[in-house]
Amino acid sequence: MFDYDSRPVTAQVILVGARSSAAAYAIRDFLTRNGRPYDWIDVDQRAGMDQLLGPGEIDASRLPLCILPDGTRLAAATVDQVAAGLGMISTPKLGEYDLVIIGAGPAGMAAALYAASEGLSTVVVEAMAPGGQAGTTSMIENYLGFPEGISGGELATRAAVQARKFGAEILLARRLDRVVPDAGAHVGELSDGSLVRGRALLVATGVEWRRLDAPGLDALLGAGVYYGAGPSEAQACRGAGVVVVGGGNSAGQACVRFSRYARRVTLLVRGPTLAASMSQYLIDRIAAVDNIEVRTRTRVVGVEGDGRLRAVVVESGGGGEQSSLAADALFVCIGGRPRTEATEDCPVLRDDAGYLMTGTDLTASGGVIPTWPLTRPPFPLETNLPGLFAAGDVRHGSTKRCATAIGEGAMAVALVHRHLAEAGGP
Amino acid sequence: MTSTTTPSPEERLIPNPEFAELASDERIRATAGALERNGIRAVVVPTGQEARRRVGGLLTDGAEVFNNTSQTLEAIGVADDIERSGRYQATRLRLYQMDREMQAREMRRLAAAPDFVVGSVHAVTEGGSLLIASASGSQLGPLASGAGHVVLVVGGQKVVADLETGLRRIREYCYPLEDRRALEAYGVRSGVNTILIIDRVLAPGRVTTILVGERLGF
Repeated sequence: MFDYDSRPVTAQVILVGARSSAAAYAIRDFLTRNGRPYDWIDVDQRAGMDQLLGPGEIDASRLPLCILPDGTRLAAATVDQVAAGLGMISTPKLGEYDLVIIGAGPAGMAAALYAASEGLSTVVVEAMAPGGQAGTTSMIENYLGFPEGISGGELATRAAVQARKFGAEILLARRLDRVVPDAGAHVGELSDGSLVRGRALLVATGVEWRRLDAPGLDALLGAGVYYGAGPSEAQACRGAGVVVVGGGNSAGQACVRFSRYARRVTLLVRGPTLAASMSQYLIDRIAAVDNIEVRTRTRVVGVEGDGRLRAVVVESGGGGEQSSLAADALFVCIGGRPRTEATEDCPVLRDDAGYLMTGTDLTASGGVIPTWPLTRPPFPLETNLPGLFAAGDVRHGSTKRCATAIGEGAMAVALVHRHLAEAGGP
Repeated sequence: MTSTTTPSPEERLIPNPEFAELASDERIRATAGALERNGIRAVVVPTGQEARRRVGGLLTDGAEVFNNTSQTLEAIGVADDIERSGRYQATRLRLYQMDREMQAREMRRLAAAPDFVVGSVHAVTEGGSLLIASASGSQLGPLASGAGHVVLVVGGQKVVADLETGLRRIREYCYPLEDRRALEAYGVRSGVNTILIIDRVLAPGRVTTILVGERLGF
């Protein structure tokens, strides 16, 4: 297929900025993950810019500049402004829902699909884009029913279409700031101050990448250093030297993807082998690709850059010996930490790492559950607050796997039905 | 689209103006009758805006819709309706978001069998045949059989007497104009590399043509 057959023919977003700009990266990432086409113009590439804008039309101090399809120009653009300008932000249609789902990853979308298809009024609130962390995966090859694999983005797109078909509302680019219990229901406060009330609420916010603690790294975020596989950056890695950090499947999939574009991909793993944390099919895939090098017992101890990443400083073998590895991009795909900020004001129980406790885990130590007012024990995916459920990676004890998250999302809906029947009301 | 010989980089092809003339209403109506006899649903409308409204009435909300690259569709706003209204799953938008290296097979499959393909033709004969040329050929498979439904908007200047004249229209008129467009839009020359001729459609209602009493596209 020719590229021009697979591009929109109508005007799309144009984004002008510096490749080293974290703000521009945030918008690129947001647009990419939401399937919004855009043309990227690097401010340092004068040729492309002169075709678009006249001399003096760029104020270098007010980049990135985002030109919307209707011609609106957003100087010093932010993700929120772009989302609003594209009409992506909508308000909840109902005053109260049977089920409010926080997070549109695999668990949240599965719950939305099953809840809506079973007649529950359902809304999903998502801060970024459908798909969650799985949505950034270039190819999931071991997901049941897709023998040739499916990309996380395509799986998310299909899930959103399917959930909407059954009537689920999906509010994108909306952050949830707070969850407040209210008279047998749960009320979510969104970042713009609007409220969404649910007779039941499912937290399916997943995890975010764990931060890599190395000097200088934060200063280069979006300027060559990225958390996750950065689907928007794949094309930009053509001919580049890429470093991926992590020993899990996400890191492995990132290596395979970038190897198609990059000159060289180096995978850095702290442990002695990949076998403990990565699926065997990915280990085999990586071994078969010539331009991927795996370095075990290696950790990142620093980065070098001049406003843009130039090299990654690594320490290998535990002997303290450091070396510099030239790199144009560093993708950090290590572990995860639960996204539970919105429930921090809520007396919901978490484990030591912050994951939400549910079901029998709440009583595993044999004690009484604080705040639990009912005579029955919590349902399997229910937290210590009746009607507040958790599913997917954010839940303590969950298997960090896409299929499992989908299963938990579906299972949560069955439990929500029981909760609603018990609570009574309309 | 293409010619049998490749022009030099500087050469600009000159379109034959004979093929720019709008057919009479009577001739357009007669052509619509011939299309119907060949199993191709035909609707005659006076304006591009009416054609746009009819296209909207044929497409199902939420369906996968692939709009072919078409000056006609862009001119009357159908491309906008498909790609930007949010009513449909615009195939082009989904293709655009896919990774060309990792998902080439997925892209081919998605593009090959949308629920609807919406496009135009380069010529329609008075006998009720449709001619569509393509440089890459990728648009033709769904038109011939891959798409569930085909909707074609046809400007009234595209009516020709017969197949031979239709082929001449492609080579002498459409190709020079498409070549110029491709150079401007993509920086590459076009070519008449593949031609689809639809003489008869066996599946009732699969293909709908909207013949417009205006000049649209080329």
